[in-house]
Amino acid sequence: MIHADDGSLSEEQRLMRDSCRSYIDDVVTPFIRANWQREWDMTPGERLSPEILQGAEQIGVRTLGVPEEFGGIDLDRESEVRTFALISEEIARGDSGLSDKLVQNWKVSILLREFAPKHLQAKWFPRLLEDPQFLLAHCLTEPRGASDRWLPYNVPEASMNTRAVLDGDHWVINGRKQFISNGYDASLYVVYANTNPKVGMLQGTSSFLVPRDTPGFTVTKCNETMGCRFMNNGELVFEDCRIPADHLLVKDQAMGSAGQYFRAGKIIQAAKNLGVGVACFERTADYVQNYVQGGRILIKHQAVAIRLADMATRIEAVRALVERASKAVDENHPDADILCNMAKVYASEEIMKVATHALELHGGNGAMLEFGIEKLFRDAAIFLHMDATVDVSNMKIIKNMFPKTAGKYAGPEE
Amino acid sequence: MKILVAVKMVTDPNVKVRALTDGTGPDLASVKMAMNPFDEIAVEEAVRLKEAGLATEIVAVSIGPAKASDTLRTALAMGADRGILIRADQAVEPLAVAKLLRAVADEEAPDLVLTGKQAIDDDSNQTGQMLAALLGWGQATFASRVKLGDGTLEVTREVDGGLQTIGLSLPAVVTADLRLNEPRYASLPNIMKAKKKPIAEKSPADYGVSLEPRLRVIRVEEPPTRQAGIKVGSAAELVQRLHNEAGVL
Ligand SMILES: Cc1cc2nc3c(=O)[nH]c(=O)nc-3n(C[C@H](O)[C@H](O)[C@H](O)COP(=O)(O)OP(=O)(O)OC[C@H]3O[C@@H](n4cnc5c(N)ncnc54)[C@H](O)[C@@H]3O)c2cc1C
Ligand SMILES: Cc1cc2nc3c(=O)[nH]c(=O)nc-3n(C[C@H](O)[C@H](O)[C@H](O)COP(=O)(O)OP(=O)(O)OC[C@H]3O[C@@H](n4cnc5c(N)ncnc54)[C@H](O)[C@@H]3O)c2cc1C
Repeated sequence: MIHADDGSLSEEQRLMRDSCRSYIDDVVTPFIRANWQREWDMTPGERLSPEILQGAEQIGVRTLGVPEEFGGIDLDRESEVRTFALISEEIARGDSGLSDKLVQNWKVSILLREFAPKHLQAKWFPRLLEDPQFLLAHCLTEPRGASDRWLPYNVPEASMNTRAVLDGDHWVINGRKQFISNGYDASLYVVYANTNPKVGMLQGTSSFLVPRDTPGFTVTKCNETMGCRFMNNGELVFEDCRIPADHLLVKDQAMGSAGQYFRAGKIIQAAKNLGVGVACFERTADYVQNYVQGGRILIKHQAVAIRLADMATRIEAVRALVERASKAVDENHPDADILCNMAKVYASEEIMKVATHALELHGGNGAMLEFGIEKLFRDAAIFLHMDATVDVSNMKIIKNMFPKTAGKYAGPEE
Repeated sequence: MKILVAVKMVTDPNVKVRALTDGTGPDLASVKMAMNPFDEIAVEEAVRLKEAGLATEIVAVSIGPAKASDTLRTALAMGADRGILIRADQAVEPLAVAKLLRAVADEEAPDLVLTGKQAIDDDSNQTGQMLAALLGWGQATFASRVKLGDGTLEVTREVDGGLQTIGLSLPAVVTADLRLNEPRYASLPNIMKAKKKPIAEKSPADYGVSLEPRLRVIRVEEPPTRQAGIKVGSAAELVQRLHNEAGVL
């Protein structure tokens, strides 16, 4: 129980999971427990020791999604998203922020392998593979908000403010992006910008490849977040940022037909939160079987036992939905969009409850930074907002189920 | 040079094993399994010899149930070239394992056989020694360092009270101790590549070896659970209790 059922996995998936678990148990978890103060270091680069990413390198989890022809690994495509989910969960069991950091690379690599011209793949994939500290970022959200584009409201006034205009053989980008995972320390960015202000964002948004050292592109700050603090979230500014015309990935349809490539990201993220839930359960089950109140170990108090049961049940339910949704994405099932939004919402809300139980069952210890339980609670909480809010995800589910009636744009403020 | 490595599937060292209530053995139903840690070290050593250009082929052998193919696949992902799975669903005693390994060695003609010094499930510490005797080869057990020369081998062994260095001629059997090396993780790309490496499936009968047990397990029981400690009020009480209750003074 609690963990994925071995019988549902292929031999490779089992071995990958086991290898990943050894890395987490031997390297990541001991680091996180021993260095809890580093989470609060206000120099972002000092938080995670470089050995953690080097370790990730040894087991090869930083560069999933890079095709074999460029030196990467070809997972079975029929079960690729399921495998991503499994590995993301396993990493997050050790640290949710580390999972975030790494899975951005997988998400963006998938986009590059689908949409980047071959010569740019041949340029960037080897660089990504070579440097253990090389990270990728995916930049949609702007200061004006993200919910409109997740839903999306397909009217010109809801479109992105970041604009890209073709000038000869270069695109010129102007605008801002905020809340971007890996935004602070990535080397290569996929950036979404409006390329046609007259239409809705499904028809008028394009995506571009922007290397970090491009003139006119600046990383302005690292956002100090409540959770996932070992991933550095950043703010970006584009001021007449000129990028060569071949760095256009998807013209106009980046949020439209190309949006289906976001699905894997939702699953990977939901699975990440599942990993946080598993860590909550493992730590709590251990605690309540060792800590004594009222003359008995806590688990022998029925009030404690039923909370533990509730944690286990929620975790299993999230797992079942994440598995179903990942299968739907792998099989390109017509309900895949609905299911991956369901997985995201459910994983965020249920694991929040699991983390709350963990916090409470640890008594006063649960509130102490050095104990590491409140960190799980914070890591679970921040996920409520990532990759769309709970309410917006729910609206997306209903919009997909009842496309003709639900979720119509209410119109601009009078 | 060809190396044969023996790898056994055992209960995961991190799992707490319980005895079956009827005392017939450990409860292994739905317990997580893994490669014997000492065998991981043996595989790592073989892979390092190959990476150093001193070995050309590594063949991994496992004797166990169908699921032991996971263990072989791990060895292949770490760097072994091919695997042999000898299917056996019952417990196999060290002598039978040694006989099967001898038969494989006869067929494969390796220059070196590497095994773990013992398996962490039954802790027998016999297989390597029995195999060397059956083959009539030299043996170096509890190896903490292996240096390959031209047709020779220099092995440092961890013995009581120190280290002993011995010279052997090849072919030979070496069993790995804990400090020989730090085994690598099987990386995800290598796990995918290992999928394409061959595993031959055999049965003990193919090698004419009988698995008939020679030992009989009478009872398996858990160690007594430790009693909770008590706090004493004074040094005098401590001495009095150590004398009267614990009987150690
Ligand atoms: C840690 C973290 C990492 C992130 N990483 C990335 C990243 O890598 N790339 C990226 O592009 N973005 C990223 N984001 C941004 C994230 O996707 C957005 O924060 C999220 O979608 C919410 O958007 P918002 O912050 O603009 O909130 P808003 O859209 O302002 O939402 C505020 C509230 O209003 C509600 N709301 C909004 N519209 C409606 C509506 N029509 N009907 C009903 N309720 C509504 C919302 O549900 C929410 O409760 C990240 C965010 C966080 C916190
Ligand atoms: C910020 C903070 C400030 C504090 N300040 C003070 C202070 O000023 N002075 C002071 O003296 N203390 C203080 N405390 C301690 C606080 O009162 C205790 O942490 C709290 O009462 C919980 O006790 P515990 O930590 O021992 O948890 P435990 O008693 O170990 O509880 C662990 C879990 O077991 C459950 N449990 C325990 N016994 C039973 C039972 N019989 N049946 C069912 N369930 C049970 C609990 O509900 C909880 O879920 C503070 C704690 C914090 C976090």
